Formats: sequence, structure tokens, C-alpha cells
Amino acid sequence: MTPGSGTAAGRLHPFTPLVLTLCVAVIAVAAPDPLTAAALYAVTVLLVVVTGVGRAALRALVPLAPLWLFLFLLHGVLGEGDRVAVMGLSLSRAGLALAVTQACRLGAIATASLALHASFSPARFVDAVADRGWSFSWSYLLVATLQALPRFRARAGAILDAQRSRGLRLRGSPLNRIRAIGPVTFPLLLGALAEVDERGFALETRCAGEVTRRTPLDPPADRAGDRAARWLASAAAVAAVIWRVFG
Amino acid sequence: MSALLFDGVGFTYPGSAAAALHDCSLRAEAGQVTWLTGALGAGTSTALLSAAGLAPRHTGGDRTGLLLTLGLDPALPSSGAALGGRVALVLPSPATQLSGIAETVAQEVAFAPANLGWPRARIQARVAFAMEALQVTHLARRDPGTLSGGEMQRTVIAAMLALEPELWLLDEPTSALDTAGRALVHALMRREAARGAAVVVASEDTDGLHSVAETLIVFTNGRPALRGPPREVLRGEQVWSAGAASTAIAGLARAAGHAAPRPLTVDEGVALWAR
Repeated sequence: MTPGSGTAAGRLHPFTPLVLTLCVAVIAVAAPDPLTAAALYAVTVLLVVVTGVGRAALRALVPLAPLWLFLFLLHGVLGEGDRVAVMGLSLSRAGLALAVTQACRLGAIATASLALHASFSPARFVDAVADRGWSFSWSYLLVATLQALPRFRARAGAILDAQRSRGLRLRGSPLNRIRAIGPVTFPLLLGALAEVDERGFALETRCAGEVTRRTPLDPPADRAGDRAARWLASAAAVAAVIWRVFG
Repeated sequence: MSALLFDGVGFTYPGSAAAALHDCSLRAEAGQVTWLTGALGAGTSTALLSAAGLAPRHTGGDRTGLLLTLGLDPALPSSGAALGGRVALVLPSPATQLSGIAETVAQEVAFAPANLGWPRARIQARVAFAMEALQVTHLARRDPGTLSGGEMQRTVIAAMLALEPELWLLDEPTSALDTAGRALVHALMRREAARGAAVVVASEDTDGLHSVAETLIVFTNGRPALRGPPREVLRGEQVWSAGAASTAIAGLARAAGHAAPRPLTVDEGVALWAR
């Protein structure tokens, strides 16, 4: 069962979270100042909490925290121009504004992406694409790639275990670690290549390349709210780009 | 017309000097189970890949001779669409045959019929039938990636059964199955043959095949070296000299010095040794 299947985000039409995430990314890049970027981040966090995938906002903090610290040091401490005192530190006003803008942009994009990942159902997405009569190939490519990541991770874990049980030292000196790269990487890559071959055979015999329009098994409902959210977000993204370019 | 016809077929994989198939001739008829066996590298798997058209279309390499699958040359790009859904190929590693996008076993089984654009009601009926036949109905809502090897293998076979194929090409279809699972798949082969499908199996596992197959073909060096009714072939000595193996009981009798014809089953072994 998909992780987000019991949440409001999981019940949305599969295109809606995808479009919202893309729009958040576009608006984040276009956000010209700290206030706009902070507002976008706040709206994104609010949306993911309201749609039941709030854990994504928390999970995003893990990679973000060191990045934020780095941005703060780079732009705030080392930045030039007017200085302001914050908690006893002398910081660049312009650098601080830039650091906040960048941090909020990254926060919004990471939160939206993790929320999308948490609510994404491959089967519903493929059904939604088939329901529109669009090509199965590209939807399969996207979905299978996303699905391949956990399998690749599991295979890497199994190879690590196997090589460790055969006496390979994976810890200790840097030399040990460098020596371990080959015995771990090559089986992983060769295994993946062999799997691609066999999976290709299987997909062909299971008619994945057929030109016939695929039957959606359980086409997801595309409600008025979904459509409105997608149009609204798209309009906001276009407006943000226009504002950034011509504003 | 034979469901599968090889007439002097040769096949060489790219980069290989030796031919995997060499002057290979065989037939498989509708309504019958044809069993191919041989030592590793004897060419049985390549024969199935060639019959499905994957060799050389996917593998590359050179094929010679006449090969007709349901009356079509499967190597031609145009045959791919014409044979789609009519030929079921099952490979030995079930994990690599999953679609990679299904979240449940039911979706996995429905993958190919959906690709063929069948009406939803027909798909649902075939999926229910296939899952029942392979006894995976209780797994319908499970993630295919979390199944055991045997469950996965039964799911993959169910996914092919859902297509109602005219020709089955099964490469080691019971490699991950226990005794009960193997009996289930053997019974399925008989039912499919009775329905009118042609069933071609490539397997080193010869235990029990004499009650499943009409014809046994033993491959050596990329070509059939021996063929006949399974009981006749397996009881003799030639199967061993061809590099293949007979049943475990026949092997035991051979090791004990019994001359052919040898017993094939436990009951026959008991009858022989009780004398």
C-alpha cells in the first residue's frame, strides 16, 4: 500500500500534487525577496500539513538544516555592506536577506518534493495517464525509475552483506574503504544491467510496447477542486515568472 | 500447422564464437506439452527466447533457419504486435519479471491485459480466474515486491495465464516452487494443453514430467539429440549419455547398477527393489 494512500494528498488526482510541486519550484526560483520566499515556504508547509503529509516538512529539515547553516555563514557572516547585530553577531543586512531567501526557496522545494514522494501512487499515476489516452511508455519510464530506487538500495544492502560475510572490510582506514568500492560497486552495476535485460524481455512479453490504448484499471477521479488547484497553481507560477522578468 | 516450428535453426549470441543453437529442428503442437531438457548451456533457454522473438530482437546476434511461432517469424519486428498476448513467456527469475509499477498482486496480474486494452470487466474476470488457478487470491492486495520467491513465481505465471495464451514458453517455471507448487504448475500445464494451448517447457527438473508431457526432447550442444515419449526416454540410458539427467529414482537405480529400463517413480523403485 502506498504510504500516503490514507491521506488527503493520497486521494488527490495524481496530477495535482505533481503540478503543485512543479509550480512551487517555479515560484521559489522566481521569488525575488525574503518575504515572498518565506510566504511560499509557509504556504507549502501549511498545504502539506493540511493534506496529511506533514511529516514531509519535518523530513525536509534533515538535509536542510546544514544547508541553512552554510547559507547563513556564507551570506550573513561573510557578506558585505551594511551590518546589523543579531544575537551578538554582526551580520551583513543584504547577505542575511539573501540567505533567508535561499533558505526558504530550498525549504519550499524540498518540502513539496518530499510530500509528493510521500503521496505518490505509481499505479494511480499510470491509470491517470492511461485515462487521458497518453503514452504508456513515458509514464512507465517515470514510475519505474521511482520504483527502482528502493530496489537498488535493497540490492546494494544485500551485496554489502554478502561481501562482508566473505571477509571484505568496509570500515576502518580510508584505504580499506577505497579497496571496498570495487567489490561493492561492480556487482551492483552488473546485477542492475542484467536485470534491465531480463526486465526488458518480461515487459515485451507482457505487451508493454503495444500501441493499443492501455485500459485504466481504476481511473482516479479528477474533481473540480483538483482541476481548480492545478489551474490556480499554474497561474501563480506564470505570474511569478512574469513578475520576476518584467517586474 | 504446428504452434511452434524450428527447422534447421541456428543462433549465435553477439560476441560469441560458438552457436547457442545449431541446426535445431523441433515441433510443438497445440494441445500438447513438449518438454525440453539438457545440461546447462545445451540451448533450451535460447530456443525459448528465439521462439518468443526476443532472440535476436532484444539480445542481438544472428539467427538462421526457419522458425515459425503460431505461423509467424517472431524475429520480424512486425510479428511483435501480432503475437502480443498470444505467447506467454515465463523466465526463471520471477523477481525480474514483475512489471515494477504494480502496487498489488492483482494489479501485477492485470498488467498485460491492461496493456492490450481489454475491457475492464474482461480483465477483472481473467485476473480473478488466474489468481484462483495459481492459488494467489489471498495475496491479491499484497505488494508483489514483498512476496516470497515461490509466491512471486506463481504470480508471474498467473499474470501470463490471465492472457489466455495460445502458446506457453516456460523456462524453469518451478525453480522457486515447493512440491505442492510444482504439482500446481504441472496440473496447470495439463489444463492449458487440454484447453488447446501448446505448452513448451525448458527444465532440467525431470521428476514428474512423464505424467505431464507428451514429448521429451533432450538437447545437446544446441540441438535436439534425443526425443520421444518421456517415459521411454527417461527410462533409458541415452538420456544420461546425452548429458541430461533422468528422475532422481532413475539416477539412484543407475548408480546402484540397474540396467535400463529403469524405474522413474518411488512406487516403481519400491516395486523393483522389493523383488
